[in-house]
Amino acid sequence: MNDQKINECKNQESETLEIKDRGNKDPVLELKNVKKTIRKKDIIKGIDLSVYEGEVFGFLGPNGAGKTTTLRMIVGLIRMTEGEITIGGYSVKKDFVKAMENVGCIIENPEMYDYLSGWENLKVLASMETGITKERIKDMVSLVGLEKRIDDKVYTYSLGMKQRLGIAQALMKRPKLLILDEPTNGLDPAGISEFRRLIRSLAEKENLGVLVSSHILAEMEMMTDRVAIIRQGSIVKVISVDEIIKEKGITYRLQSPEKAKILIEQEFHGEVQIKNNMELVAFVNEEDVPTINQRLFSEGIALYYVSKNQKSLEDLFLQLTAGDEIV
Amino acid sequence: MYNLVGNEILKLLMKKRLFVVFGILLILIGLFAYGEQYTRDRTEARVAEQLGIDDIDDWREITNQQLRDLERRLENPFIPDEGRASLEVRAEQLRYYLEKDINPTTFSAGQFMSNFMEQSIFLFLPLLIILLGADIVSKESTTGTIKLLMTRPVPRWKILTSKVLALMVLEMLVIFSMAGISLIIAYFTFGSLGFGEPVITGFRIVDGSLDTSNIRTVSLGVYNIMVYSMGYIVAFTIGKMALMVSVLVKSTAAAIGIMMSSLIGGTFLSFFIGDWELTRYLFNVNLQLTDFLSGSLQQVEGLSLGFSVAVLMAWAFGSMIIAYSVFQYKDFMD
Repeated sequence: MNDQKINECKNQESETLEIKDRGNKDPVLELKNVKKTIRKKDIIKGIDLSVYEGEVFGFLGPNGAGKTTTLRMIVGLIRMTEGEITIGGYSVKKDFVKAMENVGCIIENPEMYDYLSGWENLKVLASMETGITKERIKDMVSLVGLEKRIDDKVYTYSLGMKQRLGIAQALMKRPKLLILDEPTNGLDPAGISEFRRLIRSLAEKENLGVLVSSHILAEMEMMTDRVAIIRQGSIVKVISVDEIIKEKGITYRLQSPEKAKILIEQEFHGEVQIKNNMELVAFVNEEDVPTINQRLFSEGIALYYVSKNQKSLEDLFLQLTAGDEIV
Repeated sequence: MYNLVGNEILKLLMKKRLFVVFGILLILIGLFAYGEQYTRDRTEARVAEQLGIDDIDDWREITNQQLRDLERRLENPFIPDEGRASLEVRAEQLRYYLEKDINPTTFSAGQFMSNFMEQSIFLFLPLLIILLGADIVSKESTTGTIKLLMTRPVPRWKILTSKVLALMVLEMLVIFSMAGISLIIAYFTFGSLGFGEPVITGFRIVDGSLDTSNIRTVSLGVYNIMVYSMGYIVAFTIGKMALMVSVLVKSTAAAIGIMMSSLIGGTFLSFFIGDWELTRYLFNVNLQLTDFLSGSLQQVEGLSLGFSVAVLMAWAFGSMIIAYSVFQYKDFMD
């Protein structure tokens, strides 16, 4: 049943996957039929994508699927062969300067001028923008927690510190759109969770649109609102993380699953899928679990364990990108 | 634009490559000054020995001796025509000094300065400029910082222009420091500035024989300004070419390698097949602009100051066209 569902999703057209509950929020980033051909080889085969204000959008795909190429086209590092990209309403192709005024980004590694200090790096980059005050830079430095080391040369920094400097650099211009490519590379677990909270609060409080690419699925699930899965240069699925969580299901290991199936379906209106003669997966609300357990007990069905399924995004990802070779 | 150029200059200064250039200059000029002093002492001693006097005070004696040496060599019928013309220029210069009562044997800081530029203009100066210019874009590509630069709200051509202007400022700095360092070291070595001394310039070789119709005398100070201006023209051209290569290739090592090999390779080429008409359009053979001032022999016949400057400017201009058009449409893939 679950497998069937995934297959259905896979066959759906990408345009039907637009999220309906965005309300009247504007897309801060829009890609329309973006293509890139390099030496007659189609690297990106027509991508449509919208990222809305206040949304964290995840970009998932195996190595070589075209994640970084797409991100680089968005920020103008790579010229698109065909299609249109707009940021905050400005075309990247025709109105590059205006479009870039709305974007902060870290593309791949957070490279900085390592012969300059952290502060000098920020100052050099700020001078290329308009309206970034010294106070703003200071605020950013304390936001990422680099006050103590900001006057040291960047070559003395660890990867995690460079990552923090990269985030400060991307945020200091108060962008409407933040683009992050593998942003948690080099951050320690505390740093990752701190970073996740920062991104969520920026999206929620400052209405920032965030496009983040990663291959760490668990992290994507925790951080993002929607996820696009890209494979061989096209988007195969856009899915909201809420849906994924709904799809997760609860695994019951118990006696007579058939009897339990009828009980759960009738009393709790959840879909139930029997795995084998000892296990079933129920798609029910988490809050109902204690009551279900009580009911099973009172019906005399012996229960071995109950667990929450964790791997649905991973399953989905592996299924959608199965058998890919690096192009 | 002003802040962009400022950023680029800051980066160039902080990279410390410029200080390597200063270091090289200090060491080389020091050695050059020492060598010059050493040869001078040796020549004086030799002439003194030949003339059988203990001490040489009379510069006319020495100059006459040098002139006699030259004339003896000119009597040799086996010297090729080009060599003969060059010897004739030197003999003519000496005769002119004697006639006008100008002492050519005194050696001052001003003379050392112009000598140093004349010797460095075709290889050493281009080398320094290559060291500075070849990494101006390629280093950013290698380290990935180009991505920071290209994702700012600044059009690409402005970014490249800021680099071009910063490099031009740096070229100027190199020329000034060459003048400054050689002036200071030479002043302490030779003792006098000598900017007021007259210098004869304007010798030309036309069809293998000496043309003295354009000879004029300028002060050594003015002559130095002329020589170092020629240096800046060379630095300007090589700088533009290095910048173009820096745009075209990703690695700094490759950029320096390409520039060095074309510099040296082109010189070889012009040396071996100098008869071939086309070689005069190579930038290499046109680098020795100071030769037109000092009256030294040209490797390739038929060049003039105007022609050489025009060829160098064409190379600089062509390099800029290529650099801008590639940079504007380049994909920064990795």
